[in-house]
Amino acid sequence: MKTNTIALSHAQPGCIACIHSISDLDSLVCRRLLDLGITVGSEIRMKRKSLFGGPLTLESNGQLFGIRKQEAAKIEVQIR
Amino acid sequence: MRTYALAGNPNTGKTSLFNTLTRSYEYVGNWSGVTVEKKVGTLLNKIDRLVDLPGIYSLNPLSRDEGVAANFLLTESPDAVLNVIDSSQIERNLYLTLQLLEYRKPLVIGLNMIDVAKSRGIRIHTDKLSQILQVPVIPIVARTGKGTDAILEQLTGMPTSIETPFQLDYGPIVEQAVVACASYLDNLQLELPDTRWLSLQLFENNTAVKESLARMMPMEPLEQLYRQTEDAIVQSGAGLHLPQYLRSVRVAYIQQLCEQCVDRGKQKEHSLTERIDALVTHKILGLPIFLLFMFLLFKLTFDWFGQPVSDMLDAFFSGPLSDGVNQALTALGASPFTHALIVDGIIAGVGGVLVFVPQIFMLFLMISFIEDSGYMARVTLVMDKIMEMVGLNGKAFIPFIIGFGCNVPAIMSARAIEQPKERLVTTLLTPLMSCSARLPVYSLFVGVFFVSHKAIVVFSLYLLGIVLALLLAKLFTSIFYTSEKSMFVIEIPPYRLPQVRSLIRNTWEKGKGFIRKAGTFILGGSVLIWFLSYAGPSGFGVEMDHSFLAKIGGLFAPILAPIGFGTWQAGASLLTGFMAKEVVVSTMNIIYHAPDMAGLESQIQMAFTPLQAYSFMAFILLYVPCLATVGVIKKETTSTRWTLFSIGYALVLAYIVALIIYQGGQWLGFS
Ligand SMILES: Nc1nc2c(ncn2[C@@H]2O[C@H](COP(=O)(O)OP(=O)(O)OP(=O)(O)O)[C@@H](O)[C@H]2O)c(=O)[nH]1
Ligand SMILES: [Mg+2]
Repeated sequence: MKTNTIALSHAQPGCIACIHSISDLDSLVCRRLLDLGITVGSEIRMKRKSLFGGPLTLESNGQLFGIRKQEAAKIEVQIR
Repeated sequence: MRTYALAGNPNTGKTSLFNTLTRSYEYVGNWSGVTVEKKVGTLLNKIDRLVDLPGIYSLNPLSRDEGVAANFLLTESPDAVLNVIDSSQIERNLYLTLQLLEYRKPLVIGLNMIDVAKSRGIRIHTDKLSQILQVPVIPIVARTGKGTDAILEQLTGMPTSIETPFQLDYGPIVEQAVVACASYLDNLQLELPDTRWLSLQLFENNTAVKESLARMMPMEPLEQLYRQTEDAIVQSGAGLHLPQYLRSVRVAYIQQLCEQCVDRGKQKEHSLTERIDALVTHKILGLPIFLLFMFLLFKLTFDWFGQPVSDMLDAFFSGPLSDGVNQALTALGASPFTHALIVDGIIAGVGGVLVFVPQIFMLFLMISFIEDSGYMARVTLVMDKIMEMVGLNGKAFIPFIIGFGCNVPAIMSARAIEQPKERLVTTLLTPLMSCSARLPVYSLFVGVFFVSHKAIVVFSLYLLGIVLALLLAKLFTSIFYTSEKSMFVIEIPPYRLPQVRSLIRNTWEKGKGFIRKAGTFILGGSVLIWFLSYAGPSGFGVEMDHSFLAKIGGLFAPILAPIGFGTWQAGASLLTGFMAKEVVVSTMNIIYHAPDMAGLESQIQMAFTPLQAYSFMAFILLYVPCLATVGVIKKETTSTRWTLFSIGYALVLAYIVALIIYQGGQWLGFS
């Protein structure tokens, strides 16, 4: 199972991924993502990355949101 | 009289609905966290009250604004709750709805943004939803007012209690514990909200609920129950911990509900939002576009629109108005004292500031546009990396931008920042943002010394404020923070074309504060200053150089000399500028005894060199937050120490910066 998951921060713009694990994520960030309805099993789409490791723009269920790259590195996803 | 509370996720249109239902003009904007305090209004039926609350995702608060909403529901017990839902995000919004249903107060659901949902191919079967949840569900478009009559009708015709309360089955383990917990709470015979709801919130680890109960009772039995229940849940393999288990039950229910009530059809993308974002949040172009946008803002305010209109206004004040008043006063036989007070004091002081109304309104119009379009959230995204480097997060840029209008609401808006220390640093630094009250000072000086580069000079001052705020943020965060981790998660709303009506309204709501200030602080300040300049140790009507004002201002002159403006005039205007920074201009109008703007400009040209003028502007930008800002810093930090610190550091900073500008500039050969 572990073999075909990658860190969300490595996903390419445009690709759709399913969250596999968020156990390493900071609890506050986790809570805010939950508020947006995002948790294990949610489908998210990578929209855009920024330069110098700036925040990533993602989309889930038609909702756009931004998180930091370091945070995204702690989210494991499976690419569809 | 009954009280209804508005509750819903952030940015779902609660305040828009509040404004229509109460005919108010509260602050509306297209990002999450616009409303940060509760606002009370009287409903159109002129009897009942409606309370607008900050947006919340669940009843367990994380940031301070969310705490306001959660605590309101916990302690104030409204007669009914009006839940506003963003129909295009119904699934996520329903999570809060379930918690509000469990709260067991009569509930009305306003399905807002039906227009957005429709355009995205989402159809909601309101009848079915209403039937299942057993509450009225009304589709509305809050920004146009569609469907709001029905809401009003429902609300006011609401029974005071519910017959068949909504109840979700959380499975035997939790249900048993809830019964135990609820009966424990019931037995205490306290004034509490619904105890089943309280129990569930406790099991969800709701910090606001826990804190409020801890003030009334020993928490140990409840904590024990929590641990027992959690252990049982974990052992049964139903969840990782109790809050997560409760959430999973609710989410499963919502999914099933949506299957019955929501047709997703073919969901369309926000194609416009996509295209705009491709540009404004572009990897490389994002930041330059933001700066360009700011630059255009100043071009419009100073060059293209504001200045010409201000000049026209000035011509009116100094021409027909002054002449008319002069003649009228002479005709009425006013004493020289009254005459001087009105013409040299009030008209010069207040009129001298009022001429800037067009520029200030232009600035507010642009800020309203940024707020209402959806660009605000994008700016936080573009700026986050830089903010992270100085220990803050992109959200701190929201107060900074609002601060270009006025520092007071800007500091309030910092409530939406989750981490307390980041919020504190943001609060302390927001006064460095150049607000509209500094604008008359710039306008006056650039009009004299930098005629061909107005926008760029003013822009440089705004940038100076931002850059210094960033540098100090780095300094402060490395001193104050020990362990707190910075975080950044931002919801990005779709772009919405601001309605002309609401833009004008927003602009007016912000700008009228300026006009009000003209009638209070600036008027009072002008009268005082005029009097001090009219009176001296040797009596009334003295030469201004021998007046009290000259004496007081003169005290500061030696200190100010190294930074380029060691005159009593500059000292006196800085002193008065603490009340409100516009008063600096009023004071100069009175001191230099200028009949009109042109007169003042020529006087100032004699008193300052361009380098001194720039140093003076930078000093005005930085030197102390105005009285109203100090008040709000006190209120938000609830600490006299931090309030004094905010004044102190600003003074020191202003002096150092002005010193560098003046001495450095001279050294480089400028004058
Ligand atoms: N298209 C559309 N836009 C709406 C509607 N209602 C509100 N808006 C817009 O949505 C944005 C948010 O509105 P607000 O009333 O400030 O939302 P709020 O729920 O008070 O937001 P917070 O105070 O941040 O929680 C504004 O830009 C409104 O113009 C609607 O029915 N349709
Ligand atoms: Mg609001």
